[in-house]
Amino acid sequence: MIINPLGLHARAAAQLVRTAGAYQSAVRIERADRSASADAKSILSVLMLAAARGTQLRVTAEGADEAAALSAVCALISSGFGEMTG
Amino acid sequence: MMRGTGTHRSSDGVKPEERWRGVAVSEGSAVGRVLRIHSDARQQVYLAALEESEVEHEVDRFRAAMRLARRQLRGLKRRAELALGADHAYIFEAHLLMLQDRKLRDDVEGYVRRGRVNAEWAVKVVADHILAVYAEVKDVYLRERSADVEDVMQRILVALSGKDGHGARLLPDDAVIVAEELMPSVAAELDLSRVRAIASDAGGWTSHTAIIARGLGIPAVVGLRDMYRRARTGDEIAVDAFAGEVVLHPSPQTLEHYRASLARVAVPTNVSASVEDGVTADGEGRRETLYLADGDEVFLRANVELPAEYEGVRRYGARGIGLYRSEFLLTHRGAMPAENEQFTAYVKIAELAGVDGASVRMFDLGGDKTETEDAERNPALGLRAIRFCLRRENVMRAQVRAVLRAAAHGNLQLVLPMISDISEVRRARRVIDEEREQLTSEGHETGEVKIGAMIEVPSAVLVADKLAREVDFFSLGTNDLVQFTLAVDRGNDEVADWFRSLHPAVLRSIDMVMKAARAAAIPVVVCGEMAATPAYACVLVGLGVRDLSMTASAIPRMRRVIAGIDAERAGEVARECLECATADDVEELVRARLAMLWPHFFPPETLPVPIEVER
Repeated sequence: MIINPLGLHARAAAQLVRTAGAYQSAVRIERADRSASADAKSILSVLMLAAARGTQLRVTAEGADEAAALSAVCALISSGFGEMTG
Repeated sequence: MMRGTGTHRSSDGVKPEERWRGVAVSEGSAVGRVLRIHSDARQQVYLAALEESEVEHEVDRFRAAMRLARRQLRGLKRRAELALGADHAYIFEAHLLMLQDRKLRDDVEGYVRRGRVNAEWAVKVVADHILAVYAEVKDVYLRERSADVEDVMQRILVALSGKDGHGARLLPDDAVIVAEELMPSVAAELDLSRVRAIASDAGGWTSHTAIIARGLGIPAVVGLRDMYRRARTGDEIAVDAFAGEVVLHPSPQTLEHYRASLARVAVPTNVSASVEDGVTADGEGRRETLYLADGDEVFLRANVELPAEYEGVRRYGARGIGLYRSEFLLTHRGAMPAENEQFTAYVKIAELAGVDGASVRMFDLGGDKTETEDAERNPALGLRAIRFCLRRENVMRAQVRAVLRAAAHGNLQLVLPMISDISEVRRARRVIDEEREQLTSEGHETGEVKIGAMIEVPSAVLVADKLAREVDFFSLGTNDLVQFTLAVDRGNDEVADWFRSLHPAVLRSIDMVMKAARAAAIPVVVCGEMAATPAYACVLVGLGVRDLSMTASAIPRMRRVIAGIDAERAGEVARECLECATADDVEELVRARLAMLWPHFFPPETLPVPIEVER
């Protein structure tokens, strides 16, 4: 779930794309309600998810380093993109 | 009648003629088709159909533009990190990722190939599609992020326009630009050499539109209220910038009338003084020394902003460049040009100016010159010019370094814009000294650079005697001096009648400045619109001005006037003007005296027109 107050905005999306881009695996992010899904390596497509605070997301990865990619992306999201104070 | 370019509307010839009356600010007349230019460059995207064989070249052009945009953005990001810290520069990181985004690239390239259209159009279509998705988003903060996509799109479009001559193809050769106001940043991105005429809603004699048009010798009429909203791109239009008239959907009779008058004015008359006058057959103007009839030497220099104006400097025989408006380097709104990019530009300017040299005005940013910052309530009096430079010291330092380095290759001076207090000069000088030292220690060559102060604020006039001891020369900017002395917004046509260059307060200010400069033995160059108008220039000469900088095309006519008048009698006229009580009195006096002393130089149409002010 997106917990940082401003949602998956440009800065957070940039971090997400950079993180996902570091892995070979294809990484996809999908809104839990399945209304939209995005290539996690494309910032435009991540931004088009329009994930505000509280949005539930499902992350999938497929490829050689899928486990590492998955845990890195999930860790980033659940940390609130390092924006949470305290 | 119809041509299948997609921009023309179908009801050609059916719409009734509509006429507007405005202020003619650049002589000439033309018939053509409307090209609406939004003051926001983003709108200037046109659809061009490609041949199958051109498609791959277009894809390559798009890729090259993406590379260029990425390079520019990386430079911007580095500078932003230095200036603001990495935390605040993150937005550039997001923009960079967009420029690297596979989805954007694939979508645009796919659209170019499928639709066989130009890259500009494909970028616009793809970006609009993305923006449409954003528009649906309920979260306000996320929805506002569409600004990032727009900015990136804008960046690509600018990169596309600068890549090769391709952008020029997008302007039809019968274009008459219709705009609310033609901003310099927008004008810089257009190939104005193909424009037949300009018509704008806003503005007066010294508006941006007027200055740009005169600089390029394009007929222009301004102050046409509501014309922009009524005109559609592709509409037929006739512009008469002798009479100040614009006709939309001209009838066949009107067109006939215009074509006849076009043929007539093609033959230069004595009265309107052909701009070709003084230009030799090989296109090199006479750069020889010029004297008043009773002996003093007078320098006529060129004001330069757009590259399109470069040619005129030599052509009209300018004695160097009296004012180089460096803001042109900053056409990509918000993007500060890198030091090396500026260095190259200034070396070119110095070459162009030759031995007589060029004065580079430090970025006159803020105010009405950019639209990048949050709107200030009173931009003309806000964070602009020297204030902006001192606040964004890294911007100033890069420019100073570039000028100092370029001065090793030619004769350059630096002018500090909008000085209102001597401390600004001292702070700027400290920066200049520091950068010179720094450059030397880095092993760069630097050249001598004289430092001048722009005198355009009344406070600078009142302390001119003190200021004269701190700078090497004065540069008198009359447009802003009139605006600030009389508290009249020069872009507001509602108060155009109050903008009086010959107001006694303005002339007394100039007189004070000249006296202060003489006492300190420093030169003064006058570089506003007054310097380009013969009757006003005559008064300036009377006040002791010997150095005038103007739109290059105005030089030949001015040269003949200067050679024919004498300092003694011009001085008498000026002294009488200084004793007048009102602008009306000065204008009446100037009209009477000049018509009597030098009737051949000052036929009635060159003298100030009496204004009937409704109050």
